[in-house]
Amino acid sequence: MIEFIFILPLATGLTALALPATLGRILLLLTALLHIQLTVMSWLGKLTPTFPSYFSASPEGLLILMVTSFIFVCISIYSFSYMKETEMENKPIFICCMLLFLGTMSMVTLSDHPIVLWIAIEATTLVSAPLIFIHRSKEALEATWKYVLICSVGIALALLGYFFVTLAMDLGNINAPMTFTSLNTVALELDPLWLKVGFIFVVIGFGTKMGLAPMHTWLPDAHSQAPSPASALLSGALLNCAFLGIYKTHVLMSVAGLGDFSGNILIGFGLVSMLVGAIFIIGQPDYKRMLAYSSIKNMGIIAFGVGIGGFALYGAFLHIIHHSLLKSSLFLSAGNILLGFGTKQVQRIGGIIRHLPKTFVSFFAGFIGISGLPPFGMFISEVIIIFGAFQKHRYICVALFLLALTLVGAGICRIFMSMSYGEATDRLQIEEKALRLLPSYALLFASVALCVWMPDIVYTIILDSIKIIGGTTHG
Amino acid sequence: MINVTESILVITLLSVLLSLGSTRLIALVKIMALQGIMVSLTPLFLRGDDSLGSGAIIFFQIMILIKGLLIPSLLYMAVKKIAIKREIEPIIGYHASILVGLVILIISVFITSHLRLSLPAGHDMVLITAITTMAAGFFLMMARSKAITQVIGYLMLENGIYLIGTALTKHSHTLYVVEFGVLLDLLVGVMIMGIILHNINSAFDDADTTLLRRLKD
Repeated sequence: MIEFIFILPLATGLTALALPATLGRILLLLTALLHIQLTVMSWLGKLTPTFPSYFSASPEGLLILMVTSFIFVCISIYSFSYMKETEMENKPIFICCMLLFLGTMSMVTLSDHPIVLWIAIEATTLVSAPLIFIHRSKEALEATWKYVLICSVGIALALLGYFFVTLAMDLGNINAPMTFTSLNTVALELDPLWLKVGFIFVVIGFGTKMGLAPMHTWLPDAHSQAPSPASALLSGALLNCAFLGIYKTHVLMSVAGLGDFSGNILIGFGLVSMLVGAIFIIGQPDYKRMLAYSSIKNMGIIAFGVGIGGFALYGAFLHIIHHSLLKSSLFLSAGNILLGFGTKQVQRIGGIIRHLPKTFVSFFAGFIGISGLPPFGMFISEVIIIFGAFQKHRYICVALFLLALTLVGAGICRIFMSMSYGEATDRLQIEEKALRLLPSYALLFASVALCVWMPDIVYTIILDSIKIIGGTTHG
Repeated sequence: MINVTESILVITLLSVLLSLGSTRLIALVKIMALQGIMVSLTPLFLRGDDSLGSGAIIFFQIMILIKGLLIPSLLYMAVKKIAIKREIEPIIGYHASILVGLVILIISVFITSHLRLSLPAGHDMVLITAITTMAAGFFLMMARSKAITQVIGYLMLENGIYLIGTALTKHSHTLYVVEFGVLLDLLVGVMIMGIILHNINSAFDDADTTLLRRLKD
């Protein structure tokens, strides 16, 4: 009964609506712990799907499920303290939507039927919208409106894409059930032209949700306006789920012998996203927006790595894990800074090292990690992607990649310096608390730990996710 | 003999053109209700009587209920609540919009005849209607500044995509459970958009997207 992984948070989420906020917070924490337990069980193969025509435990799905679940545990601990200290008009709605968000994201990772995958991704948009406008400021409303409308229209195009895939099935006279697993076995009989058209629409559709430029316009607004725990979830977990939709379709393309076509499209979108992200990071006056643009850049890196394939594919999967860990940690630290200083403007913040020394440690470590420096995992994944691109003789792409990385490094460094040192113009409002520090430390620690020692099971599951389209774990 | 499918499709096309030219929002909502019902009926007549099980009949009833009644009444409530009667300053004028609608129609005919798909008889017309509805939905979203009209544009886009799905696929793969999920997403989506719309209206005193200009780089 693997479906229980997403039924559980959906059910507790709806229950939370009826509970007072104090009980709701405990429910949030309990569900998170139960969820990770179920996820571990599914990794060990103890859970089997009851509806195999809709759901299955694919290795790439399980990987992203584990990342999501781990991040959610950390974020729920953070939210436990965060909700006590912030003014929120409707706390039960916040808890409910956080849980529903976890449930729909788990559904994305487990779904095997393309249209069920689509339904789940659209549902993530709908349940996360209330999280963004929970503060009801004018800016938050604008961000939510853009988020819901742009993502819904984008995802509608992905549905069109899957209709074209169905057409490709009809033209090839295939009478197999419409699941990714069974489509992969008959991929060569699919009509290639309509499969290509379908892939383009799927990339544009889910690319909107994943934050690939130039469809990324909703992302900086939504990430900067959402409360910090929600931003951490949006950036660390939701973008991966949208990526999963693209990746599964890319696998189908590769098995059908059209891997070069889809790979080149992904490389193109990846490079554009990296450069757009890098350009907007430089001189960014709002630190949460800066983190959002960094997510766009990192999603670009992942799309790029998947597009290159081979060894770089392994790098891309490592990048997904480490980006999620580091970025959600950074958003949580940014949440502490926002609570402390009450502003998102870089200029008005200074001297974090004096005012919030413990947050400074996680903020500093996060910045080292996100800039792609050792000892954090992004260093390894980026080196592997560059190495993989060299193997495929994509020298111009590597040059653009390095240019984007350099620009990002410079932009991040400037913002970080002026926030950490320098003089503050505002006084500190809310002190840092242990419950709001431990989660970001835990996420950072996980990223370092995975570099030093990667458990065999994680290694096997990454290998299983990528070997179907020729990914390798050694150069 | 009058061909029922073609009459339905012609009504759908007319509703698209009407929606591009209508100035009053209440009229627009009514047109959307009509369009929703027509779009839900299309696959029913297209397929003939041979493949209609009891599951199909229940599904199409639910679909007509959602697309023809629930969603339009949600829109109707939104229009009443935020007390806007008409779009005063569209970005692209009404006459120009109708003209654009006709151009879209011609382009759809052109695209359909050039795809060289071996579609079953009668499906060409569905595809033409579908592409027109989709493109007109897109156009409506860009050419109007009121938030509610953009929601209606999104609905038209969805209707068009649904019609494309009906025209292109033989429906042997999609199952009613799945289609019901898509419908549910649409319904909840419109509900959430309605709530945000209401909040935008009370925060800005108007639900006009040109007011949403605070966030940018």
